Amino acid sequence: MSAIVRELSYAQAIQEALAIAMEDDERVFLMGEDIGVYGGAFQVTGDLVHRFGEDRVMDTPISELGGAGVAVGAALTGMRPVFELQFSDFSTLAMEQIVNQAAKLRFMLGGSVSVPLVIRMPTGSGTGAAAQHSQSLEAWFAHIPGLKVIEPTTPYDAKGMLLAAIADPDPVIMFEHKLLYKSKGPVPAGRYAVSLDKAQVRREGRDVTIVASGIMCSRALDAAATLAEEGVEAEVIDPRSLRPLDMATIVQSVKKTSRLLCVYEGVKTLGIGAEISAAIAESEAFAYLDAPILRLGGAESPIPYSPILEKAAVPQTPDIVAAARRLARGQV
Amino acid sequence: MAVEVILPRVDMDMETGKINHWFVAEGEAVVKGMPLFEIETDKAAMEIEAPADGILRGVSVKIGETLPVGAVVGWICARDEIFEAPVPGAVAEKPPAPPQAAPEALQSSGAGANGDLRATPKARRWAREQAIDLSSISGTGPDGRIQAKDVAPNRAGLTSPPPPRGALHGEWLARGAGTPIVFVHGFGADLNGWRPLHGYLSAGRGHFALDLPGHGQSDLMGPATLEAFVESVEATLVAEGVTSAHIVGHSLGGAVAAAYAAARPVRVRSLTLLAPAGLGPEFNGAFATGFLAAQGDASLAAWLRQLAVDEAALGAAMVKATLARRAERPHVEAQTKIAASLFPDGAQAFSVRTQLASYGGPLRVVFGLEDRILPAAQTRGLPGAVALHLLPNIGHMPHFEARAVTAEIIEDNVAAGDRRAAARSG
Amino acid sequence: MSAAAAKSETVQPSNRPPIYERLNAAQLREALHKMLLIRRFEEAAEDSYVRGQSYGTMHLSIGQEAVAVGVCTWLSDSDYITSTHRGHGHCIAKGAKVDRMFAEFLGRETGYCRGRGGSMHIADPATGNLGANGIVGGGIPIAVGAALSAKKLKTGAVVVSFFGDGANNEGAFHESLNIAAVWKLPVVFVCENNGYGMSVSTKRSTAVDSVAVRAPAYAMPGVSVDGNHFAAVAEASFEATERARRGGGPTLIECVTYRTRGHSRSDRNRYRTPEEIETWKARDPIPAFERELEAFGFLSRVEIEKVRAGVDEEIKQALAFAEASPVPSAADLLRDVYTV
Repeated sequence: MSAIVRELSYAQAIQEALAIAMEDDERVFLMGEDIGVYGGAFQVTGDLVHRFGEDRVMDTPISELGGAGVAVGAALTGMRPVFELQFSDFSTLAMEQIVNQAAKLRFMLGGSVSVPLVIRMPTGSGTGAAAQHSQSLEAWFAHIPGLKVIEPTTPYDAKGMLLAAIADPDPVIMFEHKLLYKSKGPVPAGRYAVSLDKAQVRREGRDVTIVASGIMCSRALDAAATLAEEGVEAEVIDPRSLRPLDMATIVQSVKKTSRLLCVYEGVKTLGIGAEISAAIAESEAFAYLDAPILRLGGAESPIPYSPILEKAAVPQTPDIVAAARRLARGQV
Repeated sequence: MAVEVILPRVDMDMETGKINHWFVAEGEAVVKGMPLFEIETDKAAMEIEAPADGILRGVSVKIGETLPVGAVVGWICARDEIFEAPVPGAVAEKPPAPPQAAPEALQSSGAGANGDLRATPKARRWAREQAIDLSSISGTGPDGRIQAKDVAPNRAGLTSPPPPRGALHGEWLARGAGTPIVFVHGFGADLNGWRPLHGYLSAGRGHFALDLPGHGQSDLMGPATLEAFVESVEATLVAEGVTSAHIVGHSLGGAVAAAYAAARPVRVRSLTLLAPAGLGPEFNGAFATGFLAAQGDASLAAWLRQLAVDEAALGAAMVKATLARRAERPHVEAQTKIAASLFPDGAQAFSVRTQLASYGGPLRVVFGLEDRILPAAQTRGLPGAVALHLLPNIGHMPHFEARAVTAEIIEDNVAAGDRRAAARSG
Repeated sequence: MSAAAAKSETVQPSNRPPIYERLNAAQLREALHKMLLIRRFEEAAEDSYVRGQSYGTMHLSIGQEAVAVGVCTWLSDSDYITSTHRGHGHCIAKGAKVDRMFAEFLGRETGYCRGRGGSMHIADPATGNLGANGIVGGGIPIAVGAALSAKKLKTGAVVVSFFGDGANNEGAFHESLNIAAVWKLPVVFVCENNGYGMSVSTKRSTAVDSVAVRAPAYAMPGVSVDGNHFAAVAEASFEATERARRGGGPTLIECVTYRTRGHSRSDRNRYRTPEEIETWKARDPIPAFERELEAFGFLSRVEIEKVRAGVDEEIKQALAFAEASPVPSAADLLRDVYTV
């Protein structure tokens, strides 16, 4: 059985997943700001409202907290809502319902309810939107037991992981890096699912492991190509899921290469890579480390407006090349 | 019936309290709800109300005495009730403490302290495994840190354990399902030369590339003959658990592949040869000599440019990489031996034409018409079942110069090989 | 009983509130049973708290029983409620059993939340109670979401969102009422205005004199009733529930009531006077209800006493059940964090 594979953009892949989910299950519906005739701030929902109607693709008022709570209530009582926050920065307005309610209701009620809710949000910098529209808050959510947190980096994974998330009985937070929306890749037509708890080795290599999330994954792959010219073969791992983290794949890789570099856009301190580093140090991979673990993360500042500063605030491909090179050459 | 008066818990974390002051004396009348006594807690004082109407009796505690929450401090009796102080013991029992799960045993830390010795975890482990005293080793890492390569400088490929006896160094460029493709590079190259083409092949299948003896990270262990190379390939695939493969070979690697396929036709599902050696004696011997003799980057680069029609096709990356790897592990001696054995006096001393004829599986040959290392004319007279692809304006490196076309040809041949195998077993 | 008690109206057959035409003796006995059960339950819960037997904190709804029972009179198990941190009364009114509630307060496995939630998160999804909530205003948008489900799934269900006067100043309140009105959802917003958030009175915190005044701002009907009068609450909630079921959208009901106990047990009551507390104690909703039932011939004094005795027995057995129930095992800590 082979599905037709076409090239779709990341945004189109997400739209396709939403359409398939709504076709398959009438309990699935979308809520968000400007997702109807406007088509979504990043044109992800596109023409879905024309295909499925306003009852299935619901424009909410500008009420992130109210909207999130309504989504929780609907999920508690038989529906499967997919709630879109226009920017991940606006999740701050909805935190009460996401963290205190969605994440905890099943546990607090002793397992008698589930909250099958998906919250999608665009994340990250590089569009000149500045401090309040450019954050990477993945670490906040990955820190909350009761939530599942994913960050697909390819159109294939975006579609497959979103379909799996909608089918999942627990609340799933999906981060979509803004710079990925237009990126293209092969996507099979029809239904398939990608597991919500497995990392993906995007490039095999022997000399250094680079774990890179979100947009950093493609930057790491570019860096790996440059490094190959110097005879350094980097293994690039896309974690894809941040809660739970697939540490088994990362452990296996570090045992092979002995060197680890974590690259992530969220602020470096207390970010995703901090957890990965600590987890590796606690794991059986520790005895295989031949160099300290390095992290590249966002700067200790809000995201600036000016393009030069905006770029300097997060890891770029040359930074990854330099760090991996130093690691591989035993200069760290 | 006497109603007990207890010291109530008023704050969430309160475990004890003191009575500051009684508003009513022993024997006096009280009304339900009126202030009876004042308690003091960590937070602030609070008035406590009488729980019933009656006479206060049996006050048993002192002002300022620290009491546990729930302790009985007195009784409220009916007017005509005869009061006898009941046996004390009305302190509320705490609910049974839930059983504690035993905490997980802490992982014991690694081998004993080495004082001020700086060494990476891996270096320590290797030292332990090989019973080497770390203090006898000087480290080449930052601040004199001992790294793994300081402990075991002879271990091939620094980061990996040595391959099993006889097996060559190889790498999985991709893991996947189904019968994998095995890539064999040409003279003077190494497995990394397959990376640009690898990106053009569809995902899902395993791709394994190996370093020929005396190339990349494989040493020249035995004689420099085609037969010995074939045995090494066999040992390598066995070590990797590959029982059946599609083989793609380039140049010298194409000849090795053809020889292997003829020796093990059952294991080789398809054979795709790119500019294979061994089709005739003609060979640009000057290239081999010049390549091996070149000392500096510039001269090496000049010979490398002979490989392709459009030197840009090779990519600065590939050239740089080759130079860098040569700088690290020159293999000049080994490769000179190989050249002397296989291309003596500027001619190919071996032929694989018989092997090509005897293989019997799907077989395609790709040759660039502008190849300056091996002449395309050598492809004349190949068996009719062999599909021959002659590429105009392409040199000795179709996997660099015509990636898409080459990838497509490989995919088609691989598909044909799988179809055949399925038909046989079906 | 002090002179202040004489404030309540004289009950005469001609005063009979019209809502009683919709309820028979059996239903009214059950309403009384529930109000008494709530009262005794709260008193017993308080007792176990001050003795140090139950953990954490507790927010009692003594004095507010008529609101919970009056509103829930018109709800079945397939209707939903969301509740507040002061949610024991709503839970019982919606049909929960007091034995499993006690077990929850003692942190036992047999509790409604298997010991994981405690007083502030008590819930009973089987009877449509989506839970008390530790966050002021936390349950309001959830109720709107449940109403959205009901409308989409065409179940005919209605959702009641209970919240206090404090919540009416939370952003969640305003966002929820707006969404409920814009999408015309079958939800009834019931504000138990007991005059105080924690220590700050509504006078000092709320810009309008009465919470019901906010209803027109969200294009929905709003009404303010005496929360200590069962019939008044029942009548307003009957209308609101029927409106919701008909597809007429949401309503805001403000029930003016009082909590005679502090916000929680650690409350030193510095923010109000003893006289104020006494005045409201005289307006206790339970004796008032009993007087009405007797006066209108629904229940005799003997029958009322029987209900009271039955409740005392129920509480006693519930406590025994709870105290005999097993504590959770620490090995089960991570159970139910996720479904899969």
